[in-house]
Amino acid sequence: MTWLAWRQFRAPALAGAICLAAFAVYLVVLGLQIRESADVGAFRTRLYVVDAVVLVAPGLLGVFWGAPLVSREFEAGTHRLVWSQSISRRRWLAVKLLVVGLGGMVAAGLLSALVTWAAGPYDEAVGDRFTALVFGARNLAPVAYAGFATVLGAVVGLVLRRSVPAMALTILIFVVVQVAMPTLVRPHFGTPVTGTAPLTAQAVRNLTFLGADASIRGLQVPGGWVVSTGGLLTAADEPVDRAAYNRCVLGGVDDTPDCLAALDLHVAASYHPADRYWPFQLVESAIYAGLTLLLAALGGRLIRGRPRRGR
Amino acid sequence: MPVRDKVRTMSRMPILKTERLTMRYGHRAALTDCDLAIPRGRVVGLVGPNGAGKSTLLQLACGLVTPTTGTIEVLGARPGAHLDRVGFVAQDTPVYAGLTVAEHLRMGARLNPRWDGALAGRRIAEVGLDPGQRAGRLSGGQRAQLALTLATAKRPDLLIFDEPVAALDPLARAGFLRTLIASVTGIGATAILSSHLLDDVERVCDWLVVLGGGRVRVAGDVAGLLDAHRRVAGPPPPGTATVHGGIVRGGIVRGTAPAGEKVSLGDLVLAYLTRAAEEGR
Repeated sequence: MTWLAWRQFRAPALAGAICLAAFAVYLVVLGLQIRESADVGAFRTRLYVVDAVVLVAPGLLGVFWGAPLVSREFEAGTHRLVWSQSISRRRWLAVKLLVVGLGGMVAAGLLSALVTWAAGPYDEAVGDRFTALVFGARNLAPVAYAGFATVLGAVVGLVLRRSVPAMALTILIFVVVQVAMPTLVRPHFGTPVTGTAPLTAQAVRNLTFLGADASIRGLQVPGGWVVSTGGLLTAADEPVDRAAYNRCVLGGVDDTPDCLAALDLHVAASYHPADRYWPFQLVESAIYAGLTLLLAALGGRLIRGRPRRGR
Repeated sequence: MPVRDKVRTMSRMPILKTERLTMRYGHRAALTDCDLAIPRGRVVGLVGPNGAGKSTLLQLACGLVTPTTGTIEVLGARPGAHLDRVGFVAQDTPVYAGLTVAEHLRMGARLNPRWDGALAGRRIAEVGLDPGQRAGRLSGGQRAQLALTLATAKRPDLLIFDEPVAALDPLARAGFLRTLIASVTGIGATAILSSHLLDDVERVCDWLVVLGGGRVRVAGDVAGLLDAHRRVAGPPPPGTATVHGGIVRGGIVRGTAPAGEKVSLGDLVLAYLTRAAEEGR
């Protein structure tokens, strides 16, 4: 069965390998440029695009490798040929899932390793590995996503029995899961640490938002992940005087950081410290691996005795 | 049980047995209360109009679908328990378009423990298939031959064909049926083939099952059936029962060695199917 599964996977694997190779060349060039450059910040936009590609890639694997895996057999009627060989349908599905799932994980692993290498100096300089875009596009996470996406595609194809609807539904489910994961699930991998940070001029420059109600967003903890930020407090732990705050904020963008720093403020925040990066990568990968196994088990149940017309 | 007795029991055991087999798709019944016992070593014709339940019965026998109620046994076990001993050639004989003929044989060798590579190679040569040819470029007749080769070289005890010749032209049809029977008898298997055309099965089958409206209308040995049916004018003679009153030339009756004019298999099947259709109205 492994031979047949590989033989059928050959054409899509080749197409995927060509895409991967082309992108890999670009990544190598980019990685060398970043290493020669004095200002890694200049690569910010390019790396955004690269991260987006890496984040989308597992979804594409699910759509083009996973979804047609079983649905194409139904469309061509060849499931009736292969199911009348001396191999059980569950075993047939298991081998197919294994071949395409491992193929997807290898492809995503290569891609992730290249991006992790290429963006290395930039990531080190920025120290923000927890950002959704970066977290999901480095190290182990893309490998787990790829395994999940390919098996998801295959099982959706098994249910729908049509490749195009299966492709559409696969990408839809994948996107929903990929949005829900970093926003709803990932922050709860551990209990956030609470602490206070002085609001220095540099800290203010890094903020993304200064609200009229003296709320702030975008506070950074070096290498860590801030999940919630409290109000601005004075040295006496009193809420900041709104009038003083507004004077600083409205006084001119260039002066705001120094003006706020002069108020000697600090801010309470809960965050995941930098050393949680690898545990979080592992937990997230394990969750996707668990989902993948659940989907595979569901596929095994569905294929065993479908009380439906065989064609 | 000594092995010899076991073998003897097995050879007496029907190869396919159903009891009150019923299959419903939603509210539509495809098969209703089918009782069948098909003996070994026969070439069985499964005849009936489109929608009579032929494909459903064959798919049940292969374990592709599971019955709503009732039981079905193939080789003395639930369908699908002996995947290596049952061959199935599906309607319109699907093959992998992207794989060559040789690759199909390789697939067969890898997926079937009892694969007979020599037989497969010989058959491919006999029917003139080029091993390097992609299956997607084969003609309908060649594709059917490839599917037949795959099913035969598996060396099954039971070979099932769902409308094997429906897609073929009359010439290819006759040739294919001939090789089909040669293949089946060559490996000593029992064969069941379905068709909505009696002509196809009449030539090659020695056992007949007539399905109409999801029910078994008549089943049995072809010679025995022909012996038991006669065409008579007027009321049925004592000891016989009317199958169908007849439209033009008198009715067809069934009994033990009845008197009257002999009937052809075609007339016999038509009588049962006409009655089934009239009952269904």
